[in-house]
Amino acid sequence: MAFIEINNLTFNYPNNINAPALDELSLSVEKGQFIVLFGPSGCGKSTLLRLLKKEIQPHGVLSGDILFNGHTLDEEGSGSREVGFVFQDPENQVVADQVLHELAFGLENQGLPTNEMRNRIAEMVHFMGAEHLLHRKTHELSGGQKQQLNLASVLLMQPSVLLLDEPTAQLDPVSSREFLDMIVRLNEEFGLTVIMAEHRLEEVISVADKIVMMDNGRVQIAGNPKQVVNHIWNKADKTYIPSIPSFYLQITKEVDQHHQSVVEDIPLTVKEGKNWLQSQPFIDNGRKSELNKAEEIDMADIVRVNNLFFQYEIGKKAELILKELDFSLRKGEIYTLLGGNGSGKSTLLKVICGIHKPQRGKVYIYEKSLKRWTRNELAKSIGYLPQNPKLFFIQDTLEKELQYTMEQWDIESPYEATTLLESLGISHLRHKHPYDLSGGELQKAALACLLLRKPEILLLDEPTKGLDPVSKKQLGKILIQLQSNGMTVLMTSHDVEFAAKIADRCGMMFEGKITSESEPASFFRGNFFYTTMIQRLLRSTPCEAVTLEEAVQSWKISRN
Amino acid sequence: MIHRFQDFHPFLTFFYYCGAILLIMLFQHPTILSVVLFIILVIHFIDDGFRSLRRWRVLIFTTGILILVLNPLFNERGRNVLFEVFGHRVTLEALIYGGITALSIITIIALFVSYNEVMTPNKLLFLFSKFLPQFAILLMLTLRFIPLMKRRLEDISAVQQSKGISVHEGKWRSKAKNGLLYVQVLLTYSLEEAIQTADSMNAREYGQGKRSTYEHFRFKKSDGIALAFLSILIFILLMGRFNGYGYLTIYPVMGSLQLSALEWFYVVVLSLFYSFPLLVEGGGYLKWRLLKSII
Repeated sequence: MAFIEINNLTFNYPNNINAPALDELSLSVEKGQFIVLFGPSGCGKSTLLRLLKKEIQPHGVLSGDILFNGHTLDEEGSGSREVGFVFQDPENQVVADQVLHELAFGLENQGLPTNEMRNRIAEMVHFMGAEHLLHRKTHELSGGQKQQLNLASVLLMQPSVLLLDEPTAQLDPVSSREFLDMIVRLNEEFGLTVIMAEHRLEEVISVADKIVMMDNGRVQIAGNPKQVVNHIWNKADKTYIPSIPSFYLQITKEVDQHHQSVVEDIPLTVKEGKNWLQSQPFIDNGRKSELNKAEEIDMADIVRVNNLFFQYEIGKKAELILKELDFSLRKGEIYTLLGGNGSGKSTLLKVICGIHKPQRGKVYIYEKSLKRWTRNELAKSIGYLPQNPKLFFIQDTLEKELQYTMEQWDIESPYEATTLLESLGISHLRHKHPYDLSGGELQKAALACLLLRKPEILLLDEPTKGLDPVSKKQLGKILIQLQSNGMTVLMTSHDVEFAAKIADRCGMMFEGKITSESEPASFFRGNFFYTTMIQRLLRSTPCEAVTLEEAVQSWKISRN
Repeated sequence: MIHRFQDFHPFLTFFYYCGAILLIMLFQHPTILSVVLFIILVIHFIDDGFRSLRRWRVLIFTTGILILVLNPLFNERGRNVLFEVFGHRVTLEALIYGGITALSIITIIALFVSYNEVMTPNKLLFLFSKFLPQFAILLMLTLRFIPLMKRRLEDISAVQQSKGISVHEGKWRSKAKNGLLYVQVLLTYSLEEAIQTADSMNAREYGQGKRSTYEHFRFKKSDGIALAFLSILIFILLMGRFNGYGYLTIYPVMGSLQLSALEWFYVVVLSLFYSFPLLVEGGGYLKWRLLKSII
């Protein structure tokens, strides 16, 4: 008997009887397994996870059973206490204003005596190495630290199953790596059963015991990661496969159309990939790949920043966010700013669109100093999309928001809005509340409202945050489409793969300055950590490819 | 480690401040109040060199001066007329009455500033969680929400400004309208996000059984001794006050400003009470020096 058994589970949300969120779903989980659920937004991952925790089960019609150790959830002593849940957003899960109070919150709810709490907290804080954070205010912590805190306060309640709903979607790569390492450690050292919903398979695929692809409330395929990857490659959407196995499969299938690749040979990590590469002749004949977007880029600078200084608070101790920053954005390019948290990427965007006034230095837009632009002129030529697109909307439906924008900018023909919505593929969302949309939809909706006022420069702050691979691919297409219509795009991103694919130039920010910048190929080749999986795989080979497409291309060239 | 006033059990510190305010209200005598104010200023000086008090100086001076001036302006009662302005009598009684009120208000403000420094929300939370557990939770959530809402409002204003919807420019009417829109977004957004907070609370078994509270502070022997000490002082002072000492009668007939010998005794006891934080600090410092010299 499996530890968790889900049999023919069907679930309908009350307002949506005809389309079940979960449809005859069955799944079994053994004790101590690490399970990853993935699939497009709205495929039922979150619903499934929530149904496993009694306290937060959504309202709706449920049929089928969920058995924990042979007991249903409704039975007495079935132990909902055994299940810990970590949500996606690090910020919203925090209840208390101080770290220690937050840790004690769950234990207080269980009614434990202070001594017991003190012991457990001491142990946990030591395990996580968080002594120095114990008396800090929770809002001073970074996103990654907050998510670690959420994990710690759930673990303190000593669950035997940990459910995680896209826990790293809102984190930068370094924090998300740290978070996942912690989960892996808990799974390996303490035998904690882990069920995690996740978009980015890249990082979890090598540690998972079983991965489950879901779609339309059903399990499409479940099993060993290598088998699942092989299966998806042959049947379903290839976007979900991480770049290394994808590279392998593309090349082996290329060699022999009927090649039945041995499932066990599919490399999942850079290490396995390098082992496989050693047996491959990989000669680059010096020809550059031709996939580079060969559009003519006008060399004129559209935005120029000279010797910029910026700090949020004035005072002796206040730290400079931007310091001696020089930067220029060329007309018609897509420029990506990369760099760690707090390096000043978002602040630079805010300075350029006039939200923050720099203390020193000049910003020129079209050779005209920023100070001489009125706010309306600026809003007309620069579109800014914040990290959290929810804050963008001021009206309660997309339709009203569009209407409001049209009134504000004296746009009369309703035709423009309609074509825009159609080209973004979101016409069906017109009458929805923005907060009811999924991450990808929300972003497109905000983009539609932005594009309506026809800006010439688009500033995007972390547009790929929390997007599933399909939405990310669509976003890439939209941006390239916009670029071909003459738009200039400046965005910040933590997503190295995305930047490598669509950017014309990348810049690295560090301590308020841009320390290096160039086109993606040479930019990433110079980096050791901050680079794509393919680049890591092909390092020390003559091939200079950075993205999957380039790698496959140059492999083909070298074969001919 | 020097034992400091801040390190005492929250109940003791709370008791000290309650007693301190009570005594100010009972001992309405200019000389006594001056002594009390002086001691509280010394506490502030030792604590952080007036840094926290300085932020309140405008309030302190304006209310003090305002009361001192306004009282004789509206109050003509009293027998000792000092002088007359445009037929308005300024009496000694009114002046002294105003002085006493001003002094006690200044003293209370100064006391509150120090209270704010010592009684962190953490301690307050601890005190309340004993008697009013639900209120304590509410207080904890509020403490987190205030900075959170403030940051969210900043974010909203940044985004909306970039859309050309600003509260800094334009006509008064449109500014007000945009401001209301901001708040509307803030509320919708915060409510939306609060659902997730509620889920996270539920997932951690909130409201499913009797809650216990994490006791951050332990009532130690030194807390007990200090409590006994302060209680005895308060008892002596209350007895004295009920016997009519330490209070200046102004109306109908003004008493003497001079303090009697017995009243000087109460002033000493009162000073002992108010300088409790100083005594603790001084005692701790001495002990520390002694220990160091032995080593």
